[in-house]
Amino acid sequence: MIEAQALSKTFTVHRKDPGLWGSVKSLFRREKVHKHAVREATFRIDEGEIVGLVGANGAGKTTLVKMLAGIIHPTRGDARVLGFRPWERDNRFRRQIALIMGQKAQLWWDLPAADSFLLLKEIYGIPGERYRANLDYLARVLDVTKELTIQVRRLSLGERMKMELIAALLHGPRVVYLDEPTIGLDLTAQKAIRDFILAYREQHRPAMILTSHYMEDIERLCQRLLILREGEIVYDGSLAGVVEKYADHKVVTAHLRKTNGAVTRDGLEALGQVDACDDLTIRLRVPRGRVAEAAAELLRRYPVADLAIEEVEIGTIIEKIQRAKGGAP
Amino acid sequence: MRWAVVRDLLTTEIRRRMSYRADFWLSAFASLAVRLAVVWFIVHAVFAGSRRSGIGGYDAQGMLVYYIAAILVGKLVQTTELEQGISQDIYEGGLTRYLLYPVPYGVVKYVQQLGALGPAAIQLVLFGAWLPFVVGIPRDLTAAGIAMGIGAIVIANLLQFLITFPIQLIAFWADNVWSLMVMHRFASALLGGMLAPLSLFPESAQRILAALPFRYLFAFPVETLLGRVGPAEWAGGMAIGLCWCGIMAMVGRAVWRAGTYQYTGVGI
Repeated sequence: MIEAQALSKTFTVHRKDPGLWGSVKSLFRREKVHKHAVREATFRIDEGEIVGLVGANGAGKTTLVKMLAGIIHPTRGDARVLGFRPWERDNRFRRQIALIMGQKAQLWWDLPAADSFLLLKEIYGIPGERYRANLDYLARVLDVTKELTIQVRRLSLGERMKMELIAALLHGPRVVYLDEPTIGLDLTAQKAIRDFILAYREQHRPAMILTSHYMEDIERLCQRLLILREGEIVYDGSLAGVVEKYADHKVVTAHLRKTNGAVTRDGLEALGQVDACDDLTIRLRVPRGRVAEAAAELLRRYPVADLAIEEVEIGTIIEKIQRAKGGAP
Repeated sequence: MRWAVVRDLLTTEIRRRMSYRADFWLSAFASLAVRLAVVWFIVHAVFAGSRRSGIGGYDAQGMLVYYIAAILVGKLVQTTELEQGISQDIYEGGLTRYLLYPVPYGVVKYVQQLGALGPAAIQLVLFGAWLPFVVGIPRDLTAAGIAMGIGAIVIANLLQFLITFPIQLIAFWADNVWSLMVMHRFASALLGGMLAPLSLFPESAQRILAALPFRYLFAFPVETLLGRVGPAEWAGGMAIGLCWCGIMAMVGRAVWRAGTYQYTGVGI
């Protein structure tokens, strides 16, 4: 459904020296700087997949999405979405995709959402019966039926986001790009949006690309991750795979009954790296191959009330990948 | 683009424009009532000061009617907010949604401009209906002149949009197109007959102006409405206006293609 081959985008930006002299100089001559936003991105996404696109600010996530949605042209490389080159903006392509941007409103603010939906019905040529069925379903699942006739600017952020989702999905797109769909929402609204995306995926099987800084979005919704660092895809694989690949240890946490100072750091360092150590808690980073041995040793040595063995949080791993420059973390 | 899309874009824009009552009444008052009053005082002052019975083929009454007609026609030809809206779409990323829709951006914007005429037409009726009682009915007003004038206004409205469109699209490259728009507004007001009837220009200048697009924005529809243009001259003027529409449409298309090629989608 989505295929990108060595897709690259370089922006040319102008640099201006600070201060008054810099402003005067820039009237006559401006220095051009080339910024490589996306470099040689190659991947394929199939029907029904939700792929998480993660990376720090400026890593190239939104630029990549913009190219795949046909908003901007690439500098090099090629892409096919549903068999079309997105930036050629064939109407048959545009009728089958949707882009939802958490930071940018698509609806007409001065009108009730229902008015915008009627306009979108005509723009996308949605037959009347299908339009009514889709709108009923989307409004019911997102619980905004009563808000459809209220001016968009008077809705809460969460309600507006739900209306944006309806606007983007009314025509039943086969490819959906979700750019930070839960940004700024409270926890309840975030959960509602996530549940809805999963339900929509089950029912319609579109290919979806999701960008988000919220790890819970990624963990709940995506089976596969594309990690971007400075425009380059540094990881393309399963969510579990990223943990296997980049976290060579697990976190072993033991909650102890009172030990009266019997726990010492020296005795623990042979088992793994000590993150926390006091009379009530021991937290160790233990190499994957030695987890069972370390757990057994803790149980043998101390009065353990509870023992937990956990993978390193996905957010921590991604942060580590982002921090590492020019090579593997 | 299908008729249903045009109809819905048109009605959506009319509803959007009418959703603010205070703005509707204020703009009606500021842009029509105040300007009409100012024109009335200036024309009377100029003729009283010059002590001449006619200027450029117009007596005081004729000049007043010309200016009033130019203001009313201008209301149907220029829609400032939408013109600025195109560059704002580019600067703030609003263009993105239109690039996603399976409809041509230029056509959408033009239909929205037509939709904005809905409230303007109501304002014209409210403030324009009593004008014949104040300034009298123009001597040469005829049904045929009004019919030809409406045709000329349609072309003027389209031409105004097609001239403005590529200028606004310069926003793809420049950080601000405001100064270009000011130049365009001044040039079209001066050379198009909004500031003064074109008959005040020397003969040679009038011949040049007749070949340029500006005359067909204001002076031509106004003179046609007031019965100062015969059928043959009207047909020639319409042909020149349409030619300029075709030329500007081609320019707009070329600028759009070049602009969207290097559009970066800033603001999203």
